[in-house]
Amino acid sequence: MSLIKYESQVREPLIDGHKTYHDVTEDICHTIEAKPTRLWYIGFYISVALLLFGVYAVYREVTYGIGQWNLGRTVGWGWDITNFVWWVGIGHAGTLISAILLLFRQRWRTGVNRAAEAMTIFAVMCAGQFPIFHMGRVWMAFFTLPYPNTRGPLWPNFNSPLMWDVFAISTYFIVSLLFWYSGLIPDLATIRDRARTKLRKHLYGIASFGWTGSTKHWQRHESLSLVLAGLSTPLVLSVHTIVSFDFATSIVPGWHTTIFPPYFVAGAIFSGFAMVQTLMLVMRKVMRLEAYITVNHIEVMNKVIVLTGSIVGCAYLTELFMAWYSMVPYEQDHFFKYRIAGPYGWSYWLMMTCNVISPQLFWFKKLRRNIAFTFVMSIVVNIGMWFERFVIIVTSVYRDYLPSAWSIYYRPSIWEIGFYLGTFGLFFTCFFLFAKYFPVIAIAEIKHVLKTSGQSYKEKMGGMEKLSARAFHDNVHHGDEEHETHVKVAHH
Amino acid sequence: MQQKKYWQNLGELKDSEAYQASLNDEFAEELPYEAGTGMAAATAPRRDFLKYLGFSTAAAMAAASCEMPVKKSIPYLNKPENFIPGVPDYYASTWVQDGLAVPVVVKVRDGRPIKIEGNELSSLTGGGTSAPVQASVLDLYDMARLRFPLADAKEVTSFEAFDKMVAGAMAGLGSAKKVLLTATIHSQTTLAVISKFLAKHPGSEHITYDVLSASGILLANEACYGKRAIPAYRFDQARVIVSLGADFLGTWLNPVEFSRQYAAGRQLVPSKPAMSKHIQFEGMLSLTGANADDRYVHRPSETGAVALSLFNALSGAQESNPPADARLRKGIAVAAAALKAAPGAALVVCGSNDPDVQVLVNAINEVLGANGTTIDWSAPLNVRKGMDAEMARLIQEMKEGNVGALLVHGVNPAYDCFDAKGFTDGLQKVPLTLSFNDRVDETTKHCKYVIPDHHYLESWGDAEARTGYISFQQPTIAPLFKTRAFQTSLLQWSGENVEYGAFVQSYWKEKLGSQEAWDKALQDGLIEPVSPAAGKASFSSSEVVPAANRIESAKKGGKTELVLYAKVSIGSGKSANNPWLQEMPDPITKATWDNYAIISYAKAKELGISVDDNYEVEVQKPMIRIKASGRELTLPVLAIPGMHPDVIAVAVGYGRSEQTGKAAAGVGQNAYPLVSFNGRTFDYQVTDVACEKTGDQYPIAYTQTHNQYEGRKDVVREYALSEFKSHPKLLLEQREKLAEDYAKNSGDYRAEGTLYPNYPYPGPKWGMSIDLNSCTGCGACTVACTAENNVAVVGKSEVLRNHEMHWLRIDRYFATYRDDSGKDDLDSLNVVFMPMMCQHCDNAPCENVCPVNATNHSSEGFNQMTYNRCIGTRYCANNCPFKVRRFNWADYTGADSFPDNQSDAKLDPAVFQMNDDLTRMVLNPDVTVRSRGVIEKCSFCVQRLQEGKLKAKKENRPLETGHEGKWDVRTACQQACPTHAIVFGNVNDPKSPVSKVRDEDQTTRVFYALEQLHVLPNVSYLAKVRNTDRPVGLSVAHPEGVGGNHAETAH
Repeated sequence: MSLIKYESQVREPLIDGHKTYHDVTEDICHTIEAKPTRLWYIGFYISVALLLFGVYAVYREVTYGIGQWNLGRTVGWGWDITNFVWWVGIGHAGTLISAILLLFRQRWRTGVNRAAEAMTIFAVMCAGQFPIFHMGRVWMAFFTLPYPNTRGPLWPNFNSPLMWDVFAISTYFIVSLLFWYSGLIPDLATIRDRARTKLRKHLYGIASFGWTGSTKHWQRHESLSLVLAGLSTPLVLSVHTIVSFDFATSIVPGWHTTIFPPYFVAGAIFSGFAMVQTLMLVMRKVMRLEAYITVNHIEVMNKVIVLTGSIVGCAYLTELFMAWYSMVPYEQDHFFKYRIAGPYGWSYWLMMTCNVISPQLFWFKKLRRNIAFTFVMSIVVNIGMWFERFVIIVTSVYRDYLPSAWSIYYRPSIWEIGFYLGTFGLFFTCFFLFAKYFPVIAIAEIKHVLKTSGQSYKEKMGGMEKLSARAFHDNVHHGDEEHETHVKVAHH
Repeated sequence: MQQKKYWQNLGELKDSEAYQASLNDEFAEELPYEAGTGMAAATAPRRDFLKYLGFSTAAAMAAASCEMPVKKSIPYLNKPENFIPGVPDYYASTWVQDGLAVPVVVKVRDGRPIKIEGNELSSLTGGGTSAPVQASVLDLYDMARLRFPLADAKEVTSFEAFDKMVAGAMAGLGSAKKVLLTATIHSQTTLAVISKFLAKHPGSEHITYDVLSASGILLANEACYGKRAIPAYRFDQARVIVSLGADFLGTWLNPVEFSRQYAAGRQLVPSKPAMSKHIQFEGMLSLTGANADDRYVHRPSETGAVALSLFNALSGAQESNPPADARLRKGIAVAAAALKAAPGAALVVCGSNDPDVQVLVNAINEVLGANGTTIDWSAPLNVRKGMDAEMARLIQEMKEGNVGALLVHGVNPAYDCFDAKGFTDGLQKVPLTLSFNDRVDETTKHCKYVIPDHHYLESWGDAEARTGYISFQQPTIAPLFKTRAFQTSLLQWSGENVEYGAFVQSYWKEKLGSQEAWDKALQDGLIEPVSPAAGKASFSSSEVVPAANRIESAKKGGKTELVLYAKVSIGSGKSANNPWLQEMPDPITKATWDNYAIISYAKAKELGISVDDNYEVEVQKPMIRIKASGRELTLPVLAIPGMHPDVIAVAVGYGRSEQTGKAAAGVGQNAYPLVSFNGRTFDYQVTDVACEKTGDQYPIAYTQTHNQYEGRKDVVREYALSEFKSHPKLLLEQREKLAEDYAKNSGDYRAEGTLYPNYPYPGPKWGMSIDLNSCTGCGACTVACTAENNVAVVGKSEVLRNHEMHWLRIDRYFATYRDDSGKDDLDSLNVVFMPMMCQHCDNAPCENVCPVNATNHSSEGFNQMTYNRCIGTRYCANNCPFKVRRFNWADYTGADSFPDNQSDAKLDPAVFQMNDDLTRMVLNPDVTVRSRGVIEKCSFCVQRLQEGKLKAKKENRPLETGHEGKWDVRTACQQACPTHAIVFGNVNDPKSPVSKVRDEDQTTRVFYALEQLHVLPNVSYLAKVRNTDRPVGLSVAHPEGVGGNHAETAH
């Protein structure tokens, strides 16, 4: 069994800096146990301010109507649904990292999965605000739920993609939340055990559900992780597929496109990884976690970005080709006259530059491993992906079938922008609280890989690959035993 | 070597008892029921839990269901006889404004007039109406109406006191001249009352002042025919119509009558394809010009030259000074040839107010033999009687202090007179000034006494728009305010103590001979002569040569010329405070709530205004300063095709004062000061103006941004008549090909090509057919729909954001054609009007995307909205290929569940005007007022369908949907249409007109908008056919359609 556990020297260590189990616990728990830094307070207050502005923007919209936004009879969806799709897309990276990479046994995921999962949950929370509050009568939003009622009963319309969205998003949110939280339980128990105040002990005690670390708990925990990973994996693909159905099943030229499901999923992973990069690069710096989120992690994720970015690029070109090939005048006009050119042409080219052209720079290893460059790129990609949704939504409806109904130029109102900023506020408020009160790196999971991929282990094994096969085998065996026993040590 | 100890948790390290126990039980844990008992014996078992859960949920819900406010409605204590609450009554009446008269039927629901329909007994209008007629019911409930008489701006509590004051004031004047200033009046009784008044007050005078004057025609006819009158025109009898700037479908003389005639003459029967040919010469693009088969532009100052040239061409005279423009010369030649080819069936009309030009037009009509055929002198038109010179004389006399009393009724010279300042100055010198106007308008403001007249729906009266064609007014509601009929006042002041209502009744009873005859006339609303033969007037040509000489020597225009025109909606400006009319998109520019300078693309380029893609999508328009004859006007510009390159057109009727009303105040600018008086008549054109760009911008709220249909033949279809004759089945073949492509297996286009089942419609199935050949784009249907369906007014600021709520809009497309060199031929402008409302698709894209089933399909084939189910995702609106769904972006109606959320939502004053308790009396109680956040759209007037079905059911007979002219059900737009372009009915009934149109009479012209989307609309259109040789939309040579090239690229 043991040879499989041996990790080749070709692979870089996943944890730098000769960490021991205790170091891991200390490094990750210290932010929770220490007082927040000045930087944290500044960031937190800015986030809360944004959130409050968002709350006010939504208050205006709910009280006075969607007319507070600059949508109109032709452009019926604008920033609201753009932001919805964008946030949902962002969420995808977390699920991909925690579920699909778990199933594929990609051990580098342990460094980033916790924060990425948290990001997923917060992003889905943000995303969910938009389809809810873009309703003209949001207090009737429960009409979308198939609950037994006295109206016949009157059911929702199961033909409607918006109905499918309700199920897709809520399922996704619930599964992601469970997955994230079940992973947190052992770590919360660690914090509970280290707690020095009664209140802290009590609260973390509740949060850790009486985790004792018994073999039984671990066994159930591992099984649950696997089950949830199995459940989440199709969700990664299905959620954005269903979101894309909002457009793909419609008859609006530019929306009515069969390529949308895979294209949306690729785009979602693309933007999700970019967002993970943005957050991780800041987090590792601010929380001094460079040892756990290494350049290696960053490079791996950049590879995903260049792959998905290229897929998205292919999709853009396919769309153009299909519009030309279809011979449908509405499609052709739409793509060639009003999307790549016309009043919103700038947004198409911005999207192309950000999403297709610039990520190609990641073919260079130097750039892939350059932290500053990666940070800039992650922002660029997220801007690009926002514009992708904007281009799809707004530039499709603003000039559809009847030229008489074409629209004036759509610009967001302050309250539309406010709503978007508000979701940033929500996202970062949640993220700051998460970073303060929860372990941002999965302590238990990183300990799994410490003895195979940690720097000390790599160095210790450094000479082994020069040994004879026999000696190598013996050594591995020995090291493996040590490893097996070490794994059990979850709590210092 | 020290043995390492590994531990999993602190318990293991210390090896506590609890740890030992847990180690033993680790894999054998009981479920945590209460200790020692089984599941069922537990004190709080699962069922209890469910009970608690259920109870607490129910309790929370009960607590949450808040108390609803109770609104009390009070039933009749003594119900009036013959009156059933909820059942409307209909009264015949007549709409009268500015001399125009349209016989109408007023729908009165629970004592309130709420809707105006045309009176179908009228042979002149055939039941047609216009937008101002449809909107007039709203004026009844205008908040700005005066509610009591005023003296020195103070309320006078009784009419007796007012009469005493006026009598005293009149007595004090002695023999000074008293002038009664009115608009054109053709009511026999009113004229009788006026003559009584004049007789009682010797030295007094009645002056008629028409703000949109036809003095030129009256003077010319006096010179040519010896009659100061306007003949009736017979557009239906004319095979060739040439109009020299007369907007006879929009605002010229009697447009409702003319529209009906015009459409009748252009009714196309595919078996015998023939229609009249209409050629228009004009400077700006008018509604009539937009409907013309061929159109030639010229400078306004050239109107006389064009008339002269046409006259010369027809009479074969030598042309001494033909127009310089080659295309215009060609146009005149074409027109002359066409006219010549139709002797006795040709008609030339002219909108000019210049008597000389009109003399020439009379001479032309004489050459053509129109006199007595297409021009009918047997029953002249009485809609304009004012002589402009008299108004000029009045102002002079007032300034000189020679007028003792001025009594103003229905006119507002202080606002719309060519010399408004002179008028108000003169008014200062008149000792007794009195106004009968319904509000404190610009003139009334300066009057000492004000005794407001009734609204026409509160009045008795009669009208005689054409001699012998008399229609009546009767009150449909008791006066809302302390107002008194103007005629009653005059009678009182003539010493006759009689109410005008009694006067009208006795007058007509006497005239008609019996009470029964009068009752019938009143019930019918009109009496008409037995179809008289067209009359002829003897023509004297003595004035023709002098007139031609004067035209030849007339001053040439400057570089840029200005035309003042009246909009179809606002007209002279009397109804400026009517939000329905203000919000009605102009047929040509599609702009609402403003006037502006319309210019050509060439002019825009010259002024440095680029008309590119951004110009189209940005509502902010550059402003220009127009300087003319010492006056200055700064207006935003709209560039449209079809304008003469050097002509600027500005609408009158805007820029009303604050007191005119909330909706009117601050809208547009007053262009009347640019009207001039040339010694004989008012001049509505300025032949030399200077204009420059100011650098400022101003937003114009228009409802259609894109003007071309981009060659999308599936949107709208048009033919040339010659093409239609040679290939009548062109369109049909294309549709059959489509069905073939989509339904390879079954041949059934309907059933195949969709995932959804093909539902049968066993009962009635509703459908509508719209003839694009008959539709003139006038917009009466839009306003009728607004009135019938309580469509909200949103105000300019909301229209600017594409938030207009009209259920029915009229799409207007400009199409120009590119010649071989790739240059757009701007003169060959085709304009298509296409009424667009919910198409009630049988395979509706809106229905399947609604998450909550708020929009669904009825078993009778219409797409219905359930407002209280709608949560407002707007997905349906996005997915509607026709973009006819309207969303309530704000609380436009005050019907929202959030109280007081209108003012902070930044809504316009017009919205608040519409929500006033008084104004809300106009609402149709059969139609829900929509609240914020829900989608709404055309319902095919479902309330009318239900009413009609119930009526048929109660009478135990089949539903009548138009067979032999019997209708149980008609939509508001259909009923309002002056040209009968809209036909609605049961398509499952083969005898209904809509089935006949689709399946028998017009099969070759039927098309469905965007048919290839397979949305299966229930609204069909009939392709537009133009009687022209120019290339037109659909052709054999260009089966994909050649229409809709880019006029905007031509600058």
